[in-house]
Amino acid sequence: MTTAHTTPAKELRISRLDKSYAMSRGRSVPAVRDFNLTLAPGEFVTLLGPSGCGKTSVLRTLAGLEDFEAGEILLDGRSIARLPAHQRRIGLVFQNYALFPHMSVFENVAYSLRLRREPDRQVRADVAHALEAVGLSEFGPRLPGQLSGGQQQRVAVARALVMKPDLLLFDEPLSNLDAKLRVQVRAELRRLQKSLGTTALYVTHDQDEAMSLSDRIAVMRAGRVEQVDAPEAIYARPATLFVAGFVGKVNALPGRIVARGADAVTVETLGHRLEQPAVPGAPGPDVLVLARPEALQLVEPGPGMPTGTVEMIEYLGDRTEYRVRVGSTQVTVIETALARHRRIAEGEPVGLAFVARAIHLLPPEAGTPS
Amino acid sequence: MADAVALPGGAQEKIGRGWGLLLLYPVLAAFVLLFVAYPVAELFSRAVMVDGKPTLAVLGKLVADPFSRKVFWNTLLLGAVVAVLGTVIATAFAYAMTRVAIPLKGMWHFLALLPTISPPILMALGLILLYGRRGLVTHELLGIQTTALYGFRGLVLAQLISYFPFAYLLMLNLFRGLDASLEEAASTLGANAWQVLRTVSLRLLMPGLAGSVLLLFSYSFADLGNPLLLGGDFPVMSSQIYQSIIGLYDIPQGACLALLLTLPAVLMFFAHKQLSARTAFATVGAKGSSRHRLVRHRGARAAALAFVGLVSLVIVLQYMTIIAGATTQLFGINYTITGKHLVAALTKSRGALLDTFTLAVVSSAVSVVLGLLIAYFVARTELPGRSWLDFVANLPLAIPGTVIGLGFALAFSGPPIVLTGTAAIIVIAFSVRSLPYGIRSGVAALDQLHRSLDEASTTMGATGGQTLWRVLVPLVRPALLAGMVFSFTRSVTTLSAVIFVVSPHWSLVTPTILSQMDRGDVGEAAALSLMVVVMVLLVVHGVPHLLGRDWREAR
Repeated sequence: MTTAHTTPAKELRISRLDKSYAMSRGRSVPAVRDFNLTLAPGEFVTLLGPSGCGKTSVLRTLAGLEDFEAGEILLDGRSIARLPAHQRRIGLVFQNYALFPHMSVFENVAYSLRLRREPDRQVRADVAHALEAVGLSEFGPRLPGQLSGGQQQRVAVARALVMKPDLLLFDEPLSNLDAKLRVQVRAELRRLQKSLGTTALYVTHDQDEAMSLSDRIAVMRAGRVEQVDAPEAIYARPATLFVAGFVGKVNALPGRIVARGADAVTVETLGHRLEQPAVPGAPGPDVLVLARPEALQLVEPGPGMPTGTVEMIEYLGDRTEYRVRVGSTQVTVIETALARHRRIAEGEPVGLAFVARAIHLLPPEAGTPS
Repeated sequence: MADAVALPGGAQEKIGRGWGLLLLYPVLAAFVLLFVAYPVAELFSRAVMVDGKPTLAVLGKLVADPFSRKVFWNTLLLGAVVAVLGTVIATAFAYAMTRVAIPLKGMWHFLALLPTISPPILMALGLILLYGRRGLVTHELLGIQTTALYGFRGLVLAQLISYFPFAYLLMLNLFRGLDASLEEAASTLGANAWQVLRTVSLRLLMPGLAGSVLLLFSYSFADLGNPLLLGGDFPVMSSQIYQSIIGLYDIPQGACLALLLTLPAVLMFFAHKQLSARTAFATVGAKGSSRHRLVRHRGARAAALAFVGLVSLVIVLQYMTIIAGATTQLFGINYTITGKHLVAALTKSRGALLDTFTLAVVSSAVSVVLGLLIAYFVARTELPGRSWLDFVANLPLAIPGTVIGLGFALAFSGPPIVLTGTAAIIVIAFSVRSLPYGIRSGVAALDQLHRSLDEASTTMGATGGQTLWRVLVPLVRPALLAGMVFSFTRSVTTLSAVIFVVSPHWSLVTPTILSQMDRGDVGEAAALSLMVVVMVLLVVHGVPHLLGRDWREAR
């Protein structure tokens, strides 16, 4: 790994960005609405959301490939919002890599340096460094068409890195790779970004990718940021039911706070009472109780616990998923293969136990679609 | 094992049930041999046979003759200049339309395509009225009496206006088809609009540019109307063939010239075909994007608008002049407004208009039906000889119209088949010339249909003919109608293919316009040209409207 490419990392500040797409007959569809996000120097942030949520629009707007109606984009306090794409010094790795098919790997990577009229010796050295960083030193003379998808992807990264960008953007760069390669390349990407220290914004709809790569994740929905936080916080303490559901399975159960202590609250759900650490500004008294499937355990039915009937069992190898009906609600419980101590059959009555301190409380309105 | 046994039986079954359609195969093959291969072969045999004996004397004399050599080089020079200039204009026009934010794009596009639906002689007529000896610009405005228009310069201008739109259409589709992310990648890497165009777009379009050059080359080669009217002291092959046949009645010499014209034309055609096969790598793949970012730079927009506007102005001036010529007593001499030429076009020339319309409609149907059948046999069957059928049927694309027309006139004026003076010879000449386009639309349409559709139909007990009629035809109808409209346009506007086969019984508009101009009836020629443009415009824009929404969307 080389550190020759590092330039002082920059802070990216996007504020109040509005963008819409013009449709026929003068109508327009909003794509990004009042979007705010700040990336600390060297930080790796992922925009995560379903397709059509506006995440790619944000990325393309940053790169200067889309016009926008309102808002400001600052790199270290300097506005780049009005600069044309070719003056922004922002590297973008495209979903389809967008390698120039008529140029060799070397010429692809050298492209930005040649435009800047760098001396030939410098170009050779820089390209060699960049190709080495992505492990493709031997591939300079090849044409992109002669490379595998994973290799093309790495050439695209090298091409973006070699220009020593102020900001690196990734537009779902792993979506065209097969599942195994994706896991391998994403580890490499993370390592590369950390070693260069370039501020990076990454777009994906794959929560595993977002979780494993990012310092922070911004979950987007319908053109807005729903929550920005570290991956663990997004998973364990989602701000809305949408966020909770987007990063994993979740049981959203109606509940009620029945007692408040100094540093704990008691919440009642499924006819059962739970102690929960109090969070500042805790909602109540009606709440939405979010319990991940692994936060519930199946136990022998007994007094003082919610009981229900197993309606469906899905065996998935490393784990088993159970759908349990408790009164009028259905809950999902996941048991890892090793945790299973007894065979349960469909139609059997079971008891449910909550894993201590593994639930999260939301105000009921956080569960309604915005 | 079970499959291996079942397969031959199944294949036999399929052929057995499709025999009705297979009967058409030899009929088609006979048609193509008789009306494509035979006339051309007959023409070439006249070049190398005198009094039944093979000889290279005529050809040798022609090649040795300094004047003929000059004509040959003239043709090449004109072709080269038109091809290169036309490609430059077409590329710049297509770039402005696909990559620069300029207003009124729909109008510029419409204007640029007007020449594709007009007879090329209309360009010569317009130029003569504007810049000729008594031209509006040269004589009236500048007060000069000049013959500068006649010859090389005039021909270049006329052919550029006539044929650059075809190159523009080609480049337009290629620019639109370029993967947008490649240009975006270049700009994020620091390339400005000009650098993106130079280092990425144009590099990727190289095969397309070469294709455009070859396309224009072959159009210039085949053009007869402009050289006849504007050639002056710059004779080219096509006009010399006409002079040999009509003026001197020297058939062996005309045939030899036709042979010499065909050779480079066919070479270019196959070079073009090779190249277009190679453009595929530059176009959008499944993962690419075709939404291109428009250049907003003020200077670039102003330059693009000025360029597009100037080219459009030249074209508009042509049509305005034709309209003026059609509505004034004698353009250039007497500018009094009159309706008499328009009346004459609808009375005296009514026969030519109606004949042209009828014969072009009939032959467009013929070429599309034959084209679809050939496409079906080529794409969907394993019949022996189908690739030869495809090859011969596509030859009219490569062979200049003059050569086909002369071949028809020579081949069918005597036994075994006499067609001279009939409507059939015109319909067949039109059909044969449009056949490659019929096949192309047929192949494109059939390729879009998944093979499983006709397999499904066959498993449900349909014969080959029933499958074609009930399943495939309804699905490909939009493409076939588009093919018909294209074929109609091509037939109505051609002069070269029909000038040797028209007769007093069946008159056509383009030869009529030519003879009106020879007589000096500029007003009538202009009025009739106008009628042709209106007729084609009505068909091109009217047919989609009559057919409704799904057809327009299918395009």
